[in-house]
Amino acid sequence: MLRRFTAGRSIARRLAQGQAQPARLFSTSQPRKADITLTVDGKEVTVPQGTALIQACEAAGAAVPRFCYHDRLAIAGNCRMCLVEVERSPKPVASCAMPAMPGSKVFTNTPLVHKAREGVMEFLLANHPLDCPICDQGGECDLQDQSMRYGSDRTRFHEITGKRAVENKDLGPIVKTSMNRCIQCTRCVRFANDVAGVEELGTTGRGNDLQIGMYIEKTMDSEMSGNIIDLCPVGALTSKPYAFQARPWELKKTESIDVLDAVGSNIRVDSRGVQVMRIQPKINDEINEEWINDKTRYAYDGLKYQRLTTPLVREGDRFVPASWEHAMDTIRHGLQSSGAKGDEIKAVAGHTADTESLVALKDFINRLGSENLTLDQSLGDAPPVTGVDVRSNYLFNTGIENVGEADAVLLIGTNPRHEAAIINTRFRKSYLQTGAEFGLIGEDFDSVFEYDHVGTSPSDVEAFLSGKAVKGKGKGENDFARIWKEAKKPLIVVGSAVVEGKDGAAVLKAISKHVLANEKKFVTPEWNGFSILQRAASRAAAYDAGFTPSPTSTNTTPKFVYLLNADEIDPSTIPENAFVVYQGHHGDLGAQFADVCLPGAAYTEKSSTWVNTEGRSQLGRVAVVPPGASREDWKIIRALSEIVGSPIPYDDIIQLRQRMWDISPTLVRYDVIEKPSLEFIKLGLQLLSTPPSTTKAASTTPFKKPINDFYRTDAISRASVTMAACSKAFTKKEYDIASVDEAGSAQASYA
Amino acid sequence: MSLLPRYLIRSRPSIPSPSLSFRNRMLHTSRPLQAETRGPVDPPPAPAGAAPHTAIMDVVAGLAEGPVVPVEDASVVAAEVVSGAPHELQLRQVRIFKPTKSTMQSAKGKTKRWVLDWDVLQGAGRWENPLMGWASSADYMQGTTLGFRSKEAAISFAERQGWDYIVSEPKVAKIPPKNYANNYVHVPGKLRIHHTK
Ligand code: SF4
Ligand code: FES
Repeated sequence: MLRRFTAGRSIARRLAQGQAQPARLFSTSQPRKADITLTVDGKEVTVPQGTALIQACEAAGAAVPRFCYHDRLAIAGNCRMCLVEVERSPKPVASCAMPAMPGSKVFTNTPLVHKAREGVMEFLLANHPLDCPICDQGGECDLQDQSMRYGSDRTRFHEITGKRAVENKDLGPIVKTSMNRCIQCTRCVRFANDVAGVEELGTTGRGNDLQIGMYIEKTMDSEMSGNIIDLCPVGALTSKPYAFQARPWELKKTESIDVLDAVGSNIRVDSRGVQVMRIQPKINDEINEEWINDKTRYAYDGLKYQRLTTPLVREGDRFVPASWEHAMDTIRHGLQSSGAKGDEIKAVAGHTADTESLVALKDFINRLGSENLTLDQSLGDAPPVTGVDVRSNYLFNTGIENVGEADAVLLIGTNPRHEAAIINTRFRKSYLQTGAEFGLIGEDFDSVFEYDHVGTSPSDVEAFLSGKAVKGKGKGENDFARIWKEAKKPLIVVGSAVVEGKDGAAVLKAISKHVLANEKKFVTPEWNGFSILQRAASRAAAYDAGFTPSPTSTNTTPKFVYLLNADEIDPSTIPENAFVVYQGHHGDLGAQFADVCLPGAAYTEKSSTWVNTEGRSQLGRVAVVPPGASREDWKIIRALSEIVGSPIPYDDIIQLRQRMWDISPTLVRYDVIEKPSLEFIKLGLQLLSTPPSTTKAASTTPFKKPINDFYRTDAISRASVTMAACSKAFTKKEYDIASVDEAGSAQASYA
Repeated sequence: MSLLPRYLIRSRPSIPSPSLSFRNRMLHTSRPLQAETRGPVDPPPAPAGAAPHTAIMDVVAGLAEGPVVPVEDASVVAAEVVSGAPHELQLRQVRIFKPTKSTMQSAKGKTKRWVLDWDVLQGAGRWENPLMGWASSADYMQGTTLGFRSKEAAISFAERQGWDYIVSEPKVAKIPPKNYANNYVHVPGKLRIHHTK
């Protein structure tokens, strides 16, 4: 896979060099050249040319300690912990900054190396406070571990002036700093520069006086800022919400899937007892590499508040706690007395509904004779304009892993920074490394790459794609229309809000026509440049499972409404006298309309399937048990179906997954992306390019961003205190920089 | 149906639940080892027509060469019949996976072995004890994880116990060759980044 990936890139690059284009072709991944062979600790190892020596050592199975080198960041070479001995070299060599040379003999385990490491440790520790017992990094600290292993066992530190003292910085509600502990590895700076796009975090001063900070008093305003906490090899940057909460060895680690956006980031849920203590990224190079965004990482405290823990039945204007039997029976009564028949029974699936419960709910509602299965979005009552027959019409076909190959990206009505922060970091990477160019039709946003704003409305899409020169509004440096024409691997990213909007069909028509006209560039065996960016974790699965209304059901007035995690609901779509059931984990918007609330499990509490925007299904895992009387969602639906008198025919999760297999095998083929054939993709595009004749022409109403506050997008993040603080600090920009050092007494500046 | 992924097929669809009287007879705590009943050297006679298999314990004991070939034949007695484990354990799917490297540290500790463990039990898995606020559990498996050298070993163990299992394959890290010199490459055109390091 790696081989193909880099080879593809280098070919694109060579092609581009052939044209006298002002291509910016630098990258941390060298074009793949010949392999070279060297010897590490007497073991021969073959690596591609241009590999850093530390990587070669690793490939040979030799462990090299390091602080500043990080696999996914640029090389800095300033900690010197990675010194190794190379034959015929007079001094030890910093293996991260040294390219591997053919035929060289490297030793990582000689007295010279040991002495060098011990020396480096001594220098680092000379100015490192002896904080370990009160430091949050304790137990998962590189400095701690490496000083145990490589450091000296006695001190020569007798400095009368004491240790270096550095003022703490206030980076906002997420990152807590304790800058005395900083060893100046600059990982955080490199991350902020290259990945997060925060170019204000940087270093000032030199040598012993070097400091990390924002230059001016300012918070670190980035949706990716939490990652610098992981990167920091010591306890200089730690997590504010998690401060002094737990030690790493107390935590039970569960690898699972995030559901707060449609990217499906892999996460590790660390829990203690019945509580989720923190959420960490799980490395998956096909999706989130090693990063997760701050909402994924810090919305977990929302799992503690506002939870529905027991079934609730409305009596008059208040909710009364009830037993499961009573609640289910009330629903049975409600269904009967509402007199709902056929399509008058309506189900609404929200953003965080898992696939199992979607399938169960669909089967249940269908058994009751209704096709009225709607989605919790604007125009969710109508069949989606993309249709659900062709998968490639509603998925991010390009694949998250491949977006970096695009040389020109046209964003339509989307703000990837908020809708899919992980994909946005890939865009920044390609912006910096392969010189990708970006264009936007839609609402301006605060971006981490430069783009050319070539339009705002659906009609601008038509105009731009039909080649009518739309002059860029000058945010980018070049004329994007020309770049778009010359692009070898163009990529169109259509936001989910566009597809859900009134002009969805018209916009998709224009796009699919353009794609079909330039088929050779857009749809090839290696490249698919037509992608829809979903923003809700459940959406792709809902389409896959066929959780969509029939054309006739749209016009019925429902008498019985089943809300499954539906918290974005427009109150006007719920008739006054309908009987409403809400199933979900939070007492958020949806629960307010309910006659009966059924407490479900949140994503950390159930082992369920999630399909991300690429169409990749992944299986989450239970980290903690659901609180109180709440239950796994599909089981609630199964139980209800029995009480209502038309039981759905599966009793356990394996049978249910077999049912999912029957509906669509992709739902249970975990961790892989099923690629449709080219013919099928084109067929889908043809369907999009010939919408029903009732479709209106594209209007000039500007596109609107669906997410205005990144930190509060769903029931969980809205209940989270940390997210509220982030929203205040970053969205509303109301944050008072506390002078951290004045908070307590003056910090000791003596030894 | 043969296209169904493995984890959708029950390990042993036909094992009846051991009756109470049957289990009462199994009072000894140490279960008969495969090596004891069969003798370590002689492999059990393969049923006619069955593919030969290699028992994991023989490989571990160095008596047979790897890789482990699990018993495919359901007529071979599964460990669950004699292990005395509660029948409820048969109803729980186990997870087999390889833990991913922690992002908090550079080293790759604890990522080499395969782990088999159980999902948290709904309802009885954990609760807060009202007396002290500590976590209580009625799940005897909540603290158990089994480590294996290979995926095959874990799978064959689960199969012999008659447990339904699901395997999550680890993701390979894709790290491009890295080069210090890239920091200083000249880029034509407008400067896209201002390094502050
Ligand atoms: S704060 Fe941490 S990550 Fe940043 S330079 Fe200091 S030690 Fe390195
Ligand atoms: S890891 Fe090589 S100098 Fe820091």
